[in-house]
Amino acid sequence: MTTLTLPSRREEAWRWSKLDALRALADQPHGTALIADDHFIGLGGPRLVFVDGVLDADRSTPGRVRVEPLDLATDHPLGKQATGPGWRLTLDTDQATDPIEIVHIATGGANHLPARITLGEDAAATIVETYVGAGWSNRLTQITLARSARLMRSVRMLQSSGFISHRDEAQVGEGASLVSIFLGAGGMDCRVDGALHCTGAAAYAEMGGALLTQGEQNQEAAVSLRHDALDGQSHQTWRAVAKDRSTASLAARVEVARGAQKTDGEQSLRGLLLDRTSTINLKPELEIFADDVKCAHGATVGELDRTALFYLTSRGIAPARAKALLTRAFVADALSRIGTEAVRDAFTADADRWLERAL
Amino acid sequence: MLKIENLHAEIDGKPILKGLSLTVNAGEVHAIMGPNGAGKSTLGYVLGGRPGYEVTAGSVTFDGHDLLDMDTHDRAAAGLFLGFQYPVEIPGVSNVQFLREALNAQRKSRGEAPLSGAEFLKLARAQADLLGMNQEMLKRPVNVGFSGGEKKRNEMVQMGIIAPKFAILDETDSGLDIDALKAVGEGINRIMRAPDKAVLLITHYERLLEYVEPDHVHVLVDGRIVRSGGPELAKQLEAEGYAEVAA
Ligand SMILES: Nc1ncnc2c1ncn2[C@@H]1O[C@H](COP(=O)(O)OP(=O)(O)OP(=O)(O)O)[C@@H](O)[C@H]1O
Ligand SMILES: [Mg+2]
Repeated sequence: MTTLTLPSRREEAWRWSKLDALRALADQPHGTALIADDHFIGLGGPRLVFVDGVLDADRSTPGRVRVEPLDLATDHPLGKQATGPGWRLTLDTDQATDPIEIVHIATGGANHLPARITLGEDAAATIVETYVGAGWSNRLTQITLARSARLMRSVRMLQSSGFISHRDEAQVGEGASLVSIFLGAGGMDCRVDGALHCTGAAAYAEMGGALLTQGEQNQEAAVSLRHDALDGQSHQTWRAVAKDRSTASLAARVEVARGAQKTDGEQSLRGLLLDRTSTINLKPELEIFADDVKCAHGATVGELDRTALFYLTSRGIAPARAKALLTRAFVADALSRIGTEAVRDAFTADADRWLERAL
Repeated sequence: MLKIENLHAEIDGKPILKGLSLTVNAGEVHAIMGPNGAGKSTLGYVLGGRPGYEVTAGSVTFDGHDLLDMDTHDRAAAGLFLGFQYPVEIPGVSNVQFLREALNAQRKSRGEAPLSGAEFLKLARAQADLLGMNQEMLKRPVNVGFSGGEKKRNEMVQMGIIAPKFAILDETDSGLDIDALKAVGEGINRIMRAPDKAVLLITHYERLLEYVEPDHVHVLVDGRIVRSGGPELAKQLEAEGYAEVAA
């Protein structure tokens, strides 16, 4: 038996988590790999397939991505278990790469994979990650963006069961931009966890997305975003949709340090309950030590608008489809932040498939 | 085409319709007039099958079928159209998407082939043009940020695209400027004036009836039709008021 130390629900940052299943998953063996050829969007760039955290070299064309031992330091209770070989993307000044697609296939049991992304000045990258399969997939990704570097990341969690714990830790330098958008549209539980740090002046950081839950699922996002320098901007646009007896939780925190004047932070957390038996927890937090900042935040939970549903059905649209249309519109705000059209379309299609199954 | 007999309906346990009977034959236009709160919109909602509007007695048959037994979307597929007094704003869903879904859902349930995106756009553009609605508005989210008059025009564009058999138009004329009133009136005649179609026109004003001449005019007061007549009744109501005429 592995001795697995898990955070306790008594800790404020983990109060909505349901990690019990991880113990059992940690002790289970892997299964057999699924064929993953249709999980790539087809963006024409490097492709990597990891099966249970191990690179499948035959199915990968890694481009500039290296797979090698990584030694990442973190205090994060789940992240620190992602040790051993991982993937690394390093771009020097002014370098750019074609969009990188990474597919994580889990076959059962637990798998851990660290990652390191380092972009030099003015470097630019787009990364799409897709999780499929079953089991516990645990990830730690550390990101450093030098001056004016740009990283657009989109992560879709489509495992049919199990658990995905995805921890991001990022340093965003002067004028650099980090955008990470997540979609939870599978049958697994998840914890999306982020600590983003705007260290340079005029840095831009964004982390957001949509969590869709049904049955007994439990999904959560817990992001903390810290502004340390002048003129920073950040966005956290999260949407949660919960059906049946499922729970979706969003905790988003913005911290503005004393010197970080003129920070413009926007936080929008919204939940949609599809059933009276489902639960959505929202926890927006602002901690501001500078006096000249603009931080807008909103947090609301509601149900589908009955009048709108009647309007749609009165025109001939079946009730399930009418609900799907309204829910899709609700989620669209979060997915519209994805910069690449093909990626945005693929994520929207995943959300649509979820809606078709759920409604 | 539509036969309402002794209809009683309540909202939250409060009786609103109290024994309403009305027969509308194919090819006819009926106008319903009546004071605020009489139950005119309630009648429209009950015919449309809005949740929360409970029928406690009476019957409604539409083309020989029990209308009250049908789901709202099936009523639409059967040819019923409800033009809303207050059209609903739906952020994040474009007019084009909404109407194409609606039309194709109706076609599907009638066993007809769906319209392609291009075919639908052609139809939608033509209808928008006929009603003087800006093409750009077709792409915008349903009714979001539309003026009161634009919303009503949009209802008529929807009716033009869907081409129903029977339309209940709830105060489609209120909030319209003079030109829009004319366009909407002509739209109703063009889309709905046919031997196999019929219209129930709920209105407070005789003005619309100058464009869409009704075959019958009814006065609805306190959940019942208290008087019926020809077009001249509308003129009399306009001149004398409900209190006088209904007395
Ligand atoms: N949800 C509700 N709960 C209780 N009463 C309601 C509700 N909706 C409507 N009513 C009442 O039902 C009555 C009829 O309303 P309805 O909207 O049908 O009137 P109307 O004839 O269309 O009036 P108007 O000319 O002002 O549009 C009114 O007294 C109204 O207050
Ligand atoms: Mg009314």
